[in-house]
Amino acid sequence: MNYVFQFNVVWDHFPELLTGALLTIRLSASAMALGLCLAVLCAYGKSAGPQPVRWLVSGYIELIRNTPFLVQIFIFYFSLPVIGLRLTANTAALLAMTVNLGAYASEIVRAGIEAIPHGQVEAARALGLKRLQIFRKIIIFPAVQTVYPALASQFILLMLSSSVVSTISAVELTAITNSLQSTTFRSFEFYFVATGLYLAMALAFRAGLSSIYWAVFRRGRPASR
Amino acid sequence: MGRPFGSGEFLYLLKAIPWTLLLSLGALVGGGIVGLVIAILRTAPSAPLRWLATGYIELFQGTPVLMQLFVTYYGIAVLFDIQVGAWPAVLTAFTLYSGAFLGEIWRGSIQAIPRAQWEAAACLSLSFPKQLWLVILPQAARISIPPTVGFAVQLIKTTSIAAIIGFVELTRAGQLMTNTTFKPMIVYPIVAALYFILCWPLSLLAQRLESRIDTSLGIKQHF
Amino acid sequence: MKVGLRLAVLAMLAAVPAMVLAPSARAESTLDKILKEKKIRVAIDVGNPPFGVLDKDGQPDGSDVAVARQMAKDMGVELEFVQVPSTGRIPSLLAGRADVTIASISVTTDRAKAVMYCNPNGALSIVIFGPQSVAVKTPADLVGKRVGITRATLEEATVPKMAPQGTEIVWFDEIGATIQALLSGQVDVVAMTSFAGKTVADGNPDKKIETKLNVTTAYYGPIVRHDDFELRQWINTWLFINAQNGTLAAIYKKYTGLDLPPLPVF
Repeated sequence: MNYVFQFNVVWDHFPELLTGALLTIRLSASAMALGLCLAVLCAYGKSAGPQPVRWLVSGYIELIRNTPFLVQIFIFYFSLPVIGLRLTANTAALLAMTVNLGAYASEIVRAGIEAIPHGQVEAARALGLKRLQIFRKIIIFPAVQTVYPALASQFILLMLSSSVVSTISAVELTAITNSLQSTTFRSFEFYFVATGLYLAMALAFRAGLSSIYWAVFRRGRPASR
Repeated sequence: MGRPFGSGEFLYLLKAIPWTLLLSLGALVGGGIVGLVIAILRTAPSAPLRWLATGYIELFQGTPVLMQLFVTYYGIAVLFDIQVGAWPAVLTAFTLYSGAFLGEIWRGSIQAIPRAQWEAAACLSLSFPKQLWLVILPQAARISIPPTVGFAVQLIKTTSIAAIIGFVELTRAGQLMTNTTFKPMIVYPIVAALYFILCWPLSLLAQRLESRIDTSLGIKQHF
Repeated sequence: MKVGLRLAVLAMLAAVPAMVLAPSARAESTLDKILKEKKIRVAIDVGNPPFGVLDKDGQPDGSDVAVARQMAKDMGVELEFVQVPSTGRIPSLLAGRADVTIASISVTTDRAKAVMYCNPNGALSIVIFGPQSVAVKTPADLVGKRVGITRATLEEATVPKMAPQGTEIVWFDEIGATIQALLSGQVDVVAMTSFAGKTVADGNPDKKIETKLNVTTAYYGPIVRHDDFELRQWINTWLFINAQNGTLAAIYKKYTGLDLPPLPVF
């Protein structure tokens, strides 16, 4: 069986693929920001909160980390309407990605929090700072700095996992690639090029997150390592 | 149609679980072998070999699993002009994917072995391959068990992606049962619960092993 | 000269068994391969009622599935189903994963660029349907409504052309997901075959699903790859015979409840 590659069809539709890539970036960036906030909240709740809160957060984390993301988005989009909660595809995708990232990132952030030398916290308490103030001023910044590489990896994984939201009709790069390949019948060519675009985005995100690290954590601080 | 969700439908879900487990196990074993090769290449003296291994890892860790699956599933036939069924294609895709992650786990484990072990093996006049095989790898394998178990959980969840190309494992079975019963609020939470039953014990095991086997020699695990 | 003549005769005599025993110079066709391996692989979509569904034992059933089973039986080969979603019906065939796809592939010229059609084995109509509560009487009413469509189908090719500006089209990768979207209210109406519409309506009487608009009608038939002429010819011969003896009509009526219309041939 001879297959004739026709990549020119893909280049004809390249602008549409780029639009898809931008949508992926926008969706992922929003989910990263929201997910990080959720993660910090959960990390605080699990390390410093009362027992019921700790159990709730642990339960949430274990549930998300032991079920597939695909099944999670199906539940958000197809199952919830049955009990009256109907989300649009893009909202469901964003919510699912945020909830998913929150579970993984909170464990990472919590590891960073627990890496803060306890002497710092004791000193802050001795100075009369309240718990929330201690968290905001003493703990969270160094914690995130310590675990930044792990967080960055998790962010990239999130961006890559956004490809499955096409199954609930959310529009991003994979959805657009699927539409194009189904009308032109050039499946291999389109998937190949889309894969290349994802790789480019992953590398770009990594570079971007690296620059954020240097801008936020290193600016004006003496080199400590 | 619009069948009620009964024992027959639940049984259909259960019968898909062996496929999920088989796919995960196959990818774990195959990926372990691929990963070992990649890890060894990463420490090879020749720079092009190192770049090849690094490029492989970047490729499979920097692209979505879904895309890897599409390209492998449709690509094997058009590139190599051989016709393979769904099962070998899906297994190949997940093996290559696992190989990248397990390769990093292997590399971390090998690098965690103290230099003294290598030197001692060399003192016994063992050649490099023999050093690796007889002295280093058995120790590295032990260190790599906790992160590998953690990755196994990841793999079981990742096999759900195969549903999108129509391969019938647990998630696809859930989709098909939803199509016949029109009851997503029953089917998908049950599917999630089944995955939880498969994954959670392994997660707990991974955590337990992590604390028991000394892996504290600077290996960062993100799973 | 006698020696030369003898040699020539010997050479010719030697050539006869060589010609008889030598394999055919023609490359092995897909039909040859199917007959040699005694197995045919048919791509089907079990999420596409009534052409392909899963019965209560989780086994494939439906009008296209029944046609495939009868075809394999008459060919005397074992049947292997390759289950694919809507978007995989043609790519699976092109990637060599299946020998033929029997999954209500409507005849269109665009698809004919990539695959080869056999004679049609049925007809379908694409309609837009939804619950009674959604008011759509003319194409203009679609403005502001969400219309669910499945990729790689006839409705994907036709509905965007007839839907007015301002219609929100929502894409899914398979018919089952589109149906789910309608039932969960994620879309207002969907476009797919009238048969699927009837299945959805019968299965959900409380929603009072009804047909809103007709989009188009089409014949559908099995498809093979471009160079598989022998297989296509065998399938056409089989379709010819079974159209004459009423088998195709019986299958069609069993699963759709309708009489099979006269089937044109290429």
